[in-house]
Amino acid sequence: MRLLIIEDEPGIARFLKEGLEEECYAVDVAYDGKSGLDLAMTNDYDLIMVDWMIPGLSGIDVCRHIRQSSSSVPILFLTARDTLEDVVFGLESGANDYIRKPFEFEEVLARIRVQLRSAGQGGEVLSAGPLTINPVTHQVFCNDLELTLTPKEFSLLEYLVRNKDRPCSRSRIIEHVWDIHFYSDTSVIDVYINFLRRKLEAAGCDGLIQTMRGIGYIVKSNVREA
Amino acid sequence: MRLRSGTGVINGSRRLPAMSLRNRIALYYTGTSAILMAVVFTVIFLTVDGVVYNHFDEELRHEVNETLSDSHVHELDVCDFDRLKEMGLDEAREGRHQSRHKVRKVAEIDPEYVQLVDNAGRVVSKTANLAQNVLTFRPSYAGVRYFTSELGQSTLRQVQVPLVGRNGAVEGYLIVAVPLKSAMIVLRDMKYIVLVSYPIVILTLFVVTRLIAGKSIQPVEEVISTAESISQANLGLRMPLPSNQDELYRLSVTINALLDRLQDAFQREKQFTADASHELKTPLAVVKGTLDVLVRKPRDTGHYEERIRYCLDELNRMARLIDQLLLLARCESDTTSPNIVLLYPGQLIETVISRMTPIAAVRNITLDLSIGYAGNVAADPAMLEIMLENMLSNAIKYSADGSGVSLRIDSLNGRPVCVIEDHGIGIPEAKLESIFKRFYRVDESRSSNTGGSGLGLSIVRRLADLQHIDIAVTSRENHGTVFQLTFPLTEN
Repeated sequence: MRLLIIEDEPGIARFLKEGLEEECYAVDVAYDGKSGLDLAMTNDYDLIMVDWMIPGLSGIDVCRHIRQSSSSVPILFLTARDTLEDVVFGLESGANDYIRKPFEFEEVLARIRVQLRSAGQGGEVLSAGPLTINPVTHQVFCNDLELTLTPKEFSLLEYLVRNKDRPCSRSRIIEHVWDIHFYSDTSVIDVYINFLRRKLEAAGCDGLIQTMRGIGYIVKSNVREA
Repeated sequence: MRLRSGTGVINGSRRLPAMSLRNRIALYYTGTSAILMAVVFTVIFLTVDGVVYNHFDEELRHEVNETLSDSHVHELDVCDFDRLKEMGLDEAREGRHQSRHKVRKVAEIDPEYVQLVDNAGRVVSKTANLAQNVLTFRPSYAGVRYFTSELGQSTLRQVQVPLVGRNGAVEGYLIVAVPLKSAMIVLRDMKYIVLVSYPIVILTLFVVTRLIAGKSIQPVEEVISTAESISQANLGLRMPLPSNQDELYRLSVTINALLDRLQDAFQREKQFTADASHELKTPLAVVKGTLDVLVRKPRDTGHYEERIRYCLDELNRMARLIDQLLLLARCESDTTSPNIVLLYPGQLIETVISRMTPIAAVRNITLDLSIGYAGNVAADPAMLEIMLENMLSNAIKYSADGSGVSLRIDSLNGRPVCVIEDHGIGIPEAKLESIFKRFYRVDESRSSNTGGSGLGLSIVRRLADLQHIDIAVTSRENHGTVFQLTFPLTEN
C-alpha cells in the first residue's frame, strides 16, 4: 500500500511517515500543494492525505484537481479548522474523510484502513490457497502456522495476494510497495521475493509465488503442490 | 432584535407603549387640527355674532338720532321731553320712513319699535306696532345702553337712551328696539352646522391621516422586515434602496454601511479564530503525533532523546505563541491604556540589545547602537520595550548570518525617531502592506525555520497605535528592511 502525504508542517509529516512505514505502508511526502499534486498525478497511490492549509495550492485545490483527473483514489484531509462549514466544504470538494488536528495516530490508521477497505483493498482477511493474511494485525498464516515477516516482506506478500491470479509487473510492485526513493532499482524485489519464498517453503507453502518471465510475479489462488 | 417588542421596553414609561407610529402620527395630527379648528370656529362665530350685533346697534343708533332730530327736540344734548311726549312717535317714524322709502325697504321687513318712558318707568307713548306689548325698561342702566331682550316669542335688540332736560336731570328714556329674528336664525344655524360638522371633520381627518401615515411609513415596514431577516448566517444581505433619495434612502444606506462594517468585523473575527486555531493546534498535533508514534514500539535511547527534544522545541514554540496571543488580546482590549511618560530611549534600547545579543551571537550577527538624539520621548516604557524586542528579534531572524543590525536614535523634522535596520532577506514590496496583519507571514510556509508566529508585528503596530507612535517600513528584497518609529512631539 502506497500513500502520499501532502503536509507543510514537517513535524506532522515526519511522524506520519514514520508511523505509517512501521505499519508496512510505503509513504511519500510532499511539503506543498504543487509538488503534492505533481506526485499524485504521476504516481499510482492507494490513498492520499492532504492538509487543508498548505502553501501554494490549497488542500481543497489539490483535492479538486485529483478528482477532475477522474481518479477515485481515497483522499483524507487533515485540518486544524473545526467549523462545520469547513468540513462540509472539504467533503464536497472531493475528500472521502477528514481528520481533525490534533489526532490520535491510531485514529489515522483506522481511518486509512476504512478508506482502503471501501476502496476494495483493505481490512478483510486475504487468502490464497493455504495462505491467510490479516492486514490489521499483520499476521500471516500458512497451514495454521504463523509466519514471521519483516514489514517490507509483509507489504510485498500482501500486495501480491491482493492481486492474486493477476500478474504483477515489477514496476507496479515497486510503485505500491516501495516509496518514491527506491524506484531506480527493481532488483530489490527479487531479493525480497527470495526471502519470502524461503519462509513460505519452511512453512509448507512452497510454489505460491510464481515468476512470470519478463513481466514480474504472480500468486495463484488454487495452487496446491503441483 | 425585534424592533416592535423593543419599543415597549425603551418607552416603558410612556402611556401609549403599544400604539403604532401611524396611529400616533394620526392622533397627534388630528388632535392639533381639532384644537386649531375649534379656535378658528369659535373666533369666526364670535366675530359673526359681534358683527351682527354691531349692525343692529348701528341701526338703533341711527333710529334714535333720527327720532330725536326729526322731532326737533334735541339740541346740544338737551332733550325737550315734553315736546317728544306730545309728538306721536308713529307719525314721526312713518313720515321719516315714507320720505326715505325709495331708499330703504328695510322698514317693512325690519320694523322698529319705539317707546318713550318717563323717569319713573311709566310708558308715556309707544309706536303702534308694539300693540299691547311693552319694551323692557331697565332703570338701573345709567347711560346709553345696548342690550338684548325678550318680547313675547321674539328676541329684540334694543337701545335705551336717557333724555336729559334743560335742568340737567334725566326726564325720561327713549327705547328703540328691532327684532333679531332673522339674524338669530342665521347664527343658530351656523352654530348647529359647526357643532355637527366638527366631529365629522375630525373623524374624517383622523381616518385620512392614518391612511396617509400608513402609506408614508410603508417603506419603514419594509426596512424592518428586511432587517429582521438578516442574521449572522446571511450577513451578506443588504437593504434594497428606495427609488426616492429621501430620509428612508439615507436610513437604508446607513444600515447597509453598518452591515458592511459588521460583516467585516465578523469576517475578521472568524479569520482570526481560524488562524489562531490552526496555529495552536498544529504544534499540539506535532507533539501528540510524535509521542504517539514513539511509544508504539521500543526504540533506542538516541531516538527517544532526539524525539523528546523535538517535542520540547515544539512546546516552546507553542508557549511563545500563546504568550503573544494573550499579549495581543490584552492590548486589543479597549481597557488597555498606555502609561505614557517622558523617558530617555537610549537606556531602554541598551537593555533590549543586551537581552538580544546572545541570540544574535549564535548566528554571528552584530547589534550596533548609535544615539544622535539626547532628548526624551513620550512612550509607555513597558510597551516600548515589547515593541523594540519584537522588532529587534525580527531583524535578527531575517538577517543573513554574520551581518549586522543597526539601531539609531535621531531626530527628524524635530520629532525623535528610532530606526532599526537589518541586512537580511527583505520583504517583497507587494507584501509590505500585509506584514502588520495578524498571523501574516511573508514566507508562506508556516514551517519556516524562523519559528515566528506572525503575531509580532501585529503587536508592534497595536502598541504603537496606543502610544501614538508612527511606524514606517521600507524594504528591498535581499538587501534588508528598515523600520522607523516616529515618536510624538513632546512639550519640552
